[in-house]
Amino acid sequence: MHPPEAEPITGFLKRSVCFDEITQRATLATPEHPLAIIWIALDRFKRVNESFGHQGGDAYIAQIAQRLRAKIGITAQWYRMAGDEFVCLLPDCDFDHTNQIAATLLREIETPFPINKLLLHPSASLGIAILAADENPHACLERADQAMNTAKRAGGGRIVNSGVEPIPGRLGIYLARHELEIENQLHLALEQGELSLHYQPCLDSNGRVVSFEALLRCANKRLTPSEFIPVAEKTGLIVRLGEWALLEGARFAQRLAATGLPIPVAINVSRAQFTTLRFAQTLHAALLCANVNPELIELELTESLFMDHSMTVQANLRAARDAGVALSIDDFGTGYSCLANLKDIKAGKLKLDRAFVIALPQDTRAVAVVKAIARLGRELGMRVVAEGVENQTQLDALHEAGVDITQGFFHARPMPETALLAWLDKHGKTT
Amino acid sequence: MTDTPCSIEAQLENSLREIDIPPRPVILDRISAEMEKDEPDFNHLAHLIAADVALSASLIKITNSPFFGFRGRVHTPREALMLLGLNVASKAIAGIAMRRAFPSSPQLERFWDASALIARLSGWLAQRVTDRRLRADDAYTFGLFRDCGIPILLSRRPCYFEVLIEANHDDSRCFTAIEDLALPTNHAIVGSLLAQSWWLTDETSVSIRLHHDLATLNATTIPPSLNSRYMIAVAQLSEYLLQQHTQRSFTQEWVKLGPSCLRLLKLNDEDVAELLTEATLILEAED
Repeated sequence: MHPPEAEPITGFLKRSVCFDEITQRATLATPEHPLAIIWIALDRFKRVNESFGHQGGDAYIAQIAQRLRAKIGITAQWYRMAGDEFVCLLPDCDFDHTNQIAATLLREIETPFPINKLLLHPSASLGIAILAADENPHACLERADQAMNTAKRAGGGRIVNSGVEPIPGRLGIYLARHELEIENQLHLALEQGELSLHYQPCLDSNGRVVSFEALLRCANKRLTPSEFIPVAEKTGLIVRLGEWALLEGARFAQRLAATGLPIPVAINVSRAQFTTLRFAQTLHAALLCANVNPELIELELTESLFMDHSMTVQANLRAARDAGVALSIDDFGTGYSCLANLKDIKAGKLKLDRAFVIALPQDTRAVAVVKAIARLGRELGMRVVAEGVENQTQLDALHEAGVDITQGFFHARPMPETALLAWLDKHGKTT
Repeated sequence: MTDTPCSIEAQLENSLREIDIPPRPVILDRISAEMEKDEPDFNHLAHLIAADVALSASLIKITNSPFFGFRGRVHTPREALMLLGLNVASKAIAGIAMRRAFPSSPQLERFWDASALIARLSGWLAQRVTDRRLRADDAYTFGLFRDCGIPILLSRRPCYFEVLIEANHDDSRCFTAIEDLALPTNHAIVGSLLAQSWWLTDETSVSIRLHHDLATLNATTIPPSLNSRYMIAVAQLSEYLLQQHTQRSFTQEWVKLGPSCLRLLKLNDEDVAELLTEATLILEAED
């Protein structure tokens, strides 16, 4: 039997009660005995509702609520904030402990369970905020909500702490066993200085080098980029890697310029990096440290970042433009590309996803799409770049389709700096 | 001629304008490479260090210094490496290399000397007030690198000297917020990038980035780790003790951050007075 102020399906207290109670509980919090908030939103709940109807959806919610309460119900107070969103208030719970609890809750949620003879794999996004001294408890609740939204935007199935850049570390990040192994090796690689940048040239249709893309590599051959980058993204280590790459790429551009080769260097910027409040300062710091002309730096951002209307991302986009660096849209055409949005994107380059190139030239429909994007890009004032070019036939098809710039193994593999300089000598320093 | 801010600024600009941020010293790469081996070759490393007389002398001096937490009497680089271990030795060498990596400038001498004293006091305080939860060598390294963004910014932005004066005198706003307004970046971020490019530990680079951040010291809310917070608090206390000892107060940071540092380190005013007496003896002995 639930109390009257409880919501019947979950037994959790109603949203309105949360707003009153958090104020009361906040009065008992001190720096030594902080009040922690975990905001949980189930991922892809809409699909459960669509597949099993509202009754199935309610059963799903009830099941998860039961698990959450069973795992932690004595000291915590639970509230249902929306159809698929819950809040857990934890009195006297510090940062580390809250993160441990959040990781336990996420594991609990992610345990598969059967419904209508199907095995469902639930997942959730968790946001954590801990009441700061003198903070309005409702503002703190909002921070937890925002952190949850950040977790959701990053793909769900993760925990995000509010007020914190995803600082590299092993705290409170839920990882599978093999990912933990990769994370440990990555930490070791960072401590030993085993990471480096390799550079891949981008050529125009006359074979002139127009830029280089900087790509992260690890001396530990067991750590390939396709393995360590997803783990780095999941753990927040990508911020540290990205900052390091930003500085090193900028220094490389400066070294090149100092030898009379002012060729721009493109550096990948991750979502985690670009959604931090300090990105602008870090960019300026890297440019200052490298003493490089900002025009020689290109930042490659995924399309979804350009479309992100959050204040932080928009401020970072403005700051990057103000700093004088060039922007390009990376991996265009694979995500939720929306042509209507393309007109609003202020980028100098548009990089076609390699998936289009692989299909060339046999797939006539792919050829048609590439042609259309090349023309569209040109008319919007952007240069169009195709990645992943592996043979002459693909190159010819791309030129035929009107693509300005190409990059791929056919021209050159990504190379460390010394090999690249030798390649440039051989290739001819034409820019 | 009296040094006005403008003339100092001009001199600094001339002496430092050309520097790139210093690259990670090759010797640190060599130590990393040896650390990866099952049986590191101490003789080989000692030989490399011995080839650099100034580096050898500094390493021996640090190893024998009480501030660093190792009360040894070593006479050779090999003995220093054996006593410190490669991990700690690489931190010590990073610290020595860092100062040498910047062109010598009379205007910066006092800055580096103060950094060196803060680093040593931090090493001592780590042992004295954190129940050894913070390692002396970590506190020492942090103390040295904490403000290394300052000389870099001085070299890059002609206006930075004035920004620095303003930030030093402001007793309410966050130090880095004042820099952000003017630059728009700050020495903490620049320093943390340098630390990253030298492959110092995550804890060190994160602590450098946040060392003026009151919320970091106050809160259980925000990572970094407790160790990072200790690093920041211990270095801040060291700076305060040094300023009290020399009777030169260049910053308002203790006004803004001091109470939080003391709360974190569980110290009261009497404890601080006692620490000041001890620090004075140590600093005088050092002189």
